Amino acid sequence: MNAVTPLMPDIDFAHDDVPNLHELIDELRAHGPVVPVRYHGSPVWLIMDHGLLKGAFEDYVHFDATEGYKLIAEPSMGKTLQTMAGEEHRVSRALVNPLFMPVKVRSYVEALIEPIAHELCDRIEGQREVEFVSAFARPYPFLVITRLLGIPVEDEARFMEWAIKMIDFPWDPEGSVRAKEEFDAYMQAIIDDRRANPGDDFVSRLAHAEYEGQKLSDERILSFLGLLFPAGSDTTYKNGSSLFAELLGKPELCAMARGSDKDREAIVTEGLRWQPPTAFLPRMASADVDFGGVRIAKGDWTLFGITAANNDPAVFPDPRRFDPSRDNREILTFGRSTHFCLGMHVARRELETALRVVFERFPNIRLKPGQDVQHVGAVLRGVRHMIVQPYGEA
Amino acid sequence: MLVRFIDPDGCEHLVEGEAGESAMRCATRALIPGIIGECGGAMACATCHCYATPPDGATLPDPAAQERDMIDGCIDTRPTSRLTCQVVLAPELEGITFIVPASQV
Ligand code: HEM
Ligand code: FES
Repeated sequence: MNAVTPLMPDIDFAHDDVPNLHELIDELRAHGPVVPVRYHGSPVWLIMDHGLLKGAFEDYVHFDATEGYKLIAEPSMGKTLQTMAGEEHRVSRALVNPLFMPVKVRSYVEALIEPIAHELCDRIEGQREVEFVSAFARPYPFLVITRLLGIPVEDEARFMEWAIKMIDFPWDPEGSVRAKEEFDAYMQAIIDDRRANPGDDFVSRLAHAEYEGQKLSDERILSFLGLLFPAGSDTTYKNGSSLFAELLGKPELCAMARGSDKDREAIVTEGLRWQPPTAFLPRMASADVDFGGVRIAKGDWTLFGITAANNDPAVFPDPRRFDPSRDNREILTFGRSTHFCLGMHVARRELETALRVVFERFPNIRLKPGQDVQHVGAVLRGVRHMIVQPYGEA
Repeated sequence: MLVRFIDPDGCEHLVEGEAGESAMRCATRALIPGIIGECGGAMACATCHCYATPPDGATLPDPAAQERDMIDGCIDTRPTSRLTCQVVLAPELEGITFIVPASQV
């Protein structure tokens, strides 16, 4: 792969903000469905065509994700669903799966998700202007996870630090391993308690889960809980920030968000298509393959261009138009096949509930006029800052 | 072979299915409302749940353990609940009916 010269050599998709990502993708598409681009300073293959990307997600011979995840995540995160394959993955996923199924997630909405949305709105109440990402979008999915885990409110800030540090392995190996140790020590006490005094809560259910005679060890529970923060919090908050940015600039979409549950479902799905937080998902090739006109070698890094596939004009006509009424069955935002996002229902219910509660509490909320709100980042994409006026024109 | 889907609004759709494909594929190809199939048929998303009634004289094979477990987590299940991604169409199922639940979530 080193002999290949990347297109757009001035752009590094690991580090640059790329606010114009959609335009860059349009330009890259003219060069083929799979093209070399720069990522962490080196050339990697960006897969953009919808059909090819769907096939790659389903192809565990050439694009088995586990080896790549072992390199970038296992040292600090431990063994997780993302680094397991085959039987081990099937059983491990079955052990945790009931906690993420539609029927269970429905019960989280009332018990957990909606109260957190209201709590964050309480803090916004009375203010003329608020920075919405730090006031709502970012803490919201994070708190859903800490409260699911039974973390007391006074320890939430500590958790936020660990969660950010744990996934920092490629940049700060020692710091990330230390954060995981502190996280583990803290959670171990909760696990011990739930093993001794089981209730109906999330950690008790994990501690006592059984499938085909197998159970989760403390170590597996700890790495699973650790994974929930990067997988469930960072992704959902980025997408929530993008979604509100789009809506708040468009009165007709705000009106629709005040409509029915089905309307909110459709808006959220279109937001997930249009600006997926995992815009480009890094994946290491696990075997040599001729793919989309290029030769990808075992060990080469690729970027699964989810944003590109979700905006492939062959599948989504006029893809840049934000249109909640379009057919969105083919979006690849949550991946595909057996490693398909475990938390998809949680993420969707969080986003739908956020729309319902925020527009109920602040029917006239709008973006502060005159701001240039940008969607930034390629690996985790979202809005960094946006000032809103909860009561509209003050 | 004809496959009948009844969508959440009660509208009936007759779709030409292919033997060997899953009912989920048949439904998504025909854009039947309410059957999403987001994981692509890997029993990982629970967005392809339906109530299945095979034609007189035909039966469906029982769901495998993993399908059973997934159905347990779906909304408004009934004894006839199936994941359509696990139902493989075959000539003897000509005329099979799938009722799409009011909501998958
Ligand atoms: C908008 C929000 C979200 C997006 C876009 C998203 C996206 C994804 C994607 C693309 C994958 C597959 C990764 C791969 O194939 O390498 C994945 C896996 C996963 N996600 Fe999500 N996710 C979101 C929210 C959540 C939430 C809220 C949770 C948990 C509470 C969660 C938990 C997981 C887990 C545990 C996996 C690993 C599954 C496995 O390997 O079997 N995600 N997610
Ligand atoms: S298509 Fe995902 S479970 Fe059937």
